[in-house]
Amino acid sequence: MNTTLASSTGRVADGPARGFGRLLAHTGSLTRRSVVGRLRQPAALAPSFIFPLFFAALGAASFSRIAERPDFQAIAPSFLNYNAAGAILQGVLFAAVSASGDLATDIEQGFFERLLASPVSRTSIILGRLGSAMVVAVTQVVVFLAIFIAFGARIETGVIGFFGLVIGGALLALAMAGLMSGIAVRSGSPEVVQGSFPLVFALMFLSSAFFPRIYMTGWYRTVADWNPMSHIVEGMQSFMNEPLAADQFLRAWVVPLGIAVAGILFALRALSTRLRAL
Amino acid sequence: MQIVTSTAPIVASGLVRHFGSGDSAVKAVDGVDLQVNDGEIFGFLGPNGAGKSTTVRVLTTLLKPTGGSARVAGFDVATEADKVRRAIGVALQDAAIDPLMTGRELLALQCVLYGIPKTRSAARGEELLERVGLTAAGDRRVGTYSGGMRRRLDLALSLVHEPSVLFLDEPTTGLDPMSRLTLWEEVRRLNREGTTVLLTTQYLEEADQLADRIAIIDHGRIVREGVPRDLKAAVGAPTLLVNVKPDQVDSARSVLARFGELRPTAEGTLGVGLVQGAEAVAPVIRALDEAGVHVHHLELNEPSLDDVFAEATGYRLEGAETSTPAAAGPAGGRPGRRRR
Amino acid sequence: MTVAVEPRREHSADSSAVIAALVRRTLLRVRRMPAAFVPSIVMPVFQLVAFSGAFGAAVRFAGVENAMDWYVPLNAVQGASFGAMGVSFGLINDMQTGFFDRMLMAPTRRWTLIAGPMAGAIARAIVPILLVVVVGFVGGMNVPGGWLAFVTIGVAAVGIALVSSAFALGLTYRMRNMGAATLTQFAVFFTIFLSTSQVPLAAMSGWLHAVARVNPMTNVLRLARQGLLGDVTWDQTWGGLLAIAVMLVLSSAFALSGLKRLER
Repeated sequence: MNTTLASSTGRVADGPARGFGRLLAHTGSLTRRSVVGRLRQPAALAPSFIFPLFFAALGAASFSRIAERPDFQAIAPSFLNYNAAGAILQGVLFAAVSASGDLATDIEQGFFERLLASPVSRTSIILGRLGSAMVVAVTQVVVFLAIFIAFGARIETGVIGFFGLVIGGALLALAMAGLMSGIAVRSGSPEVVQGSFPLVFALMFLSSAFFPRIYMTGWYRTVADWNPMSHIVEGMQSFMNEPLAADQFLRAWVVPLGIAVAGILFALRALSTRLRAL
Repeated sequence: MQIVTSTAPIVASGLVRHFGSGDSAVKAVDGVDLQVNDGEIFGFLGPNGAGKSTTVRVLTTLLKPTGGSARVAGFDVATEADKVRRAIGVALQDAAIDPLMTGRELLALQCVLYGIPKTRSAARGEELLERVGLTAAGDRRVGTYSGGMRRRLDLALSLVHEPSVLFLDEPTTGLDPMSRLTLWEEVRRLNREGTTVLLTTQYLEEADQLADRIAIIDHGRIVREGVPRDLKAAVGAPTLLVNVKPDQVDSARSVLARFGELRPTAEGTLGVGLVQGAEAVAPVIRALDEAGVHVHHLELNEPSLDDVFAEATGYRLEGAETSTPAAAGPAGGRPGRRRR
Repeated sequence: MTVAVEPRREHSADSSAVIAALVRRTLLRVRRMPAAFVPSIVMPVFQLVAFSGAFGAAVRFAGVENAMDWYVPLNAVQGASFGAMGVSFGLINDMQTGFFDRMLMAPTRRWTLIAGPMAGAIARAIVPILLVVVVGFVGGMNVPGGWLAFVTIGVAAVGIALVSSAFALGLTYRMRNMGAATLTQFAVFFTIFLSTSQVPLAAMSGWLHAVARVNPMTNVLRLARQGLLGDVTWDQTWGGLLAIAVMLVLSSAFALSGLKRLER
């Protein structure tokens, strides 16, 4: 979808060439705007860095004895190594909810309509937010891994695994931000977006992000087994803890990519509905 | 001459309130002396940022004075704050209400906060709702009230304990003309019943209509004080306002300067104080005509509070409600400018 | 000679009536803005289910038979602390609307302006505490300590509600913006989790063990948990009561001094 708004003279506004070039240019500008906006709200950005690192430190200290068990050692050499992927997941999800909340705020406060009144590519309004979620996610992954490594974690798959994790984090951010952006555009309310946070929280916890599935029992284990987050995070965990293998990329990249496609389509459809209603 | 008595409901002496310290301190109130007499409506006039609200906040015990002293209802605002609070009612600049509560609930809460016995609070609430014309809206959430309704409720809240001294901080700012008139009438009624009122406003007409005496504050200091009639008379001559083409302003100015002191006016308008009043209008018109100045518009204004204000401060008060686009100002030929 | 102008009627605000009125107002706001209240009910319950499911094995390895026995007290305490955020938001809202000025100008005893919201935080805490206990029962929670177990959970949760709301008030008086609510959330969260939140002290090691040993919250959680893990004894009780009392004194002083600063 790439509609344009003609100026009052009937001419299409000057600027980059139509089509993909324009989409890219506008997406780049809106991504930049979104990232700058996030950076100017450190109080909103800080929790997505602080809480995951805190939980990781807490987990490593609380469960260090459990990490010495042979069944745990078969999964990861230390709890810190195990928890790195969970921290990335947590940070990325927090950031995706925040970015989508900002989109909803734009709609509520009227900036969205200001954008619509300009010749900006409609798709780029969504993609700009997704772009910023990815930028923040990449930053988080790099920062988290640096801190984890400084405290003794090791990436078993080396440099390839490092990039595997970075790209996996970016794709996961794209996936979650896509879904949440759809909610943001449909509702136009930051409160609704924030209200979906418990769902995100549930997705996170009802998975193997914070503790291995092998120790879970009953219905909890069943839910964790089926939760796509378990598979995404285990793909990331295997970059940290296992030798390089193709299925790591399948779980850490392809699954979130699939969710991302569905999420973006959902968001674009919501945008289309909103535009038709104007 | 104002005789200072310590029995007056409001007395301030060298009142100072600074924010911050050292060179960067903001002197919001910088030595205010005032006295409000029993049963008076006292108008406290000034532009935004002049120090009106800060003065009120000190007198109503929300802020402690940095220097000087003040007594309200006979009690020191710094050391006997609790006693001051019992005696005063306050309606601040923004209607201080909880939008989630209904009018009746807020009045009930206010009664509790002021120690009105439970046996009386319901009746008192109804009495006040009726007084301010909100009986029908009493069970609606205040968040659904219009601006005028909120102000009226705010006034009602300030009256639950029948205070002898009432502070109203810009009570009609943002209200439509009808609501403003309604509130004025209520203030007069309260005053007739014996309540002393200190009213801050940036609306000259409001001060003119309501106040027995006024004080003009600018940059934290009182620059004029007295009865409106006397203050206007002290400004002196009426002002002749003239609108001319931009390229004829200089010619017009030099003509007008022959007939009196030039006064600050709005952009595009010239003003001169005519000591001889209306009699001097014809000669002025003739002189302008002889100089080849084409006059678009001409009017003669008797001194107003706007003139008093401009003469005292060199500014015109923004939001002044005058019927003409320009008003008098101090002598000296300084071009008029609006205070921002 | 100074002659005071007497008010037409002389009334003294009854402190208990003021506190009761402020509690009623808190509950009114909860009823009229339920969306703001729902997270404080949902999150403790969800966390109970999530923690006991995800980390249940960890506490079983540490010798606790049913993870619910470990996590119900934690989440009851945490749920009670969410009221502190509500107190902070409510005060910020009052400051923004000017209603707080109106309360400051009323001739009430200053401490009632703090005690009222703190009492309101207790009222807000009741539903999350009850819900967490009910879900605990559904999850098979054991209660070897009998009815005293619920008393200790209640005392611990109410104590933390009071402490965290006083702290929230003190921060909000000083900061006067939403940053106070965020900081309160951080402070309460870290205090709760840097204790025996996840596993017993004996199962910890390193820096967390050192911090949890001196963290008063460890004593509070011991007070709260004892009845679900065994009998309620004075040995396991007095430490938690003392911790709550000390924290309450300090946080109340913090709140009072913040209020005094506002009037400077």
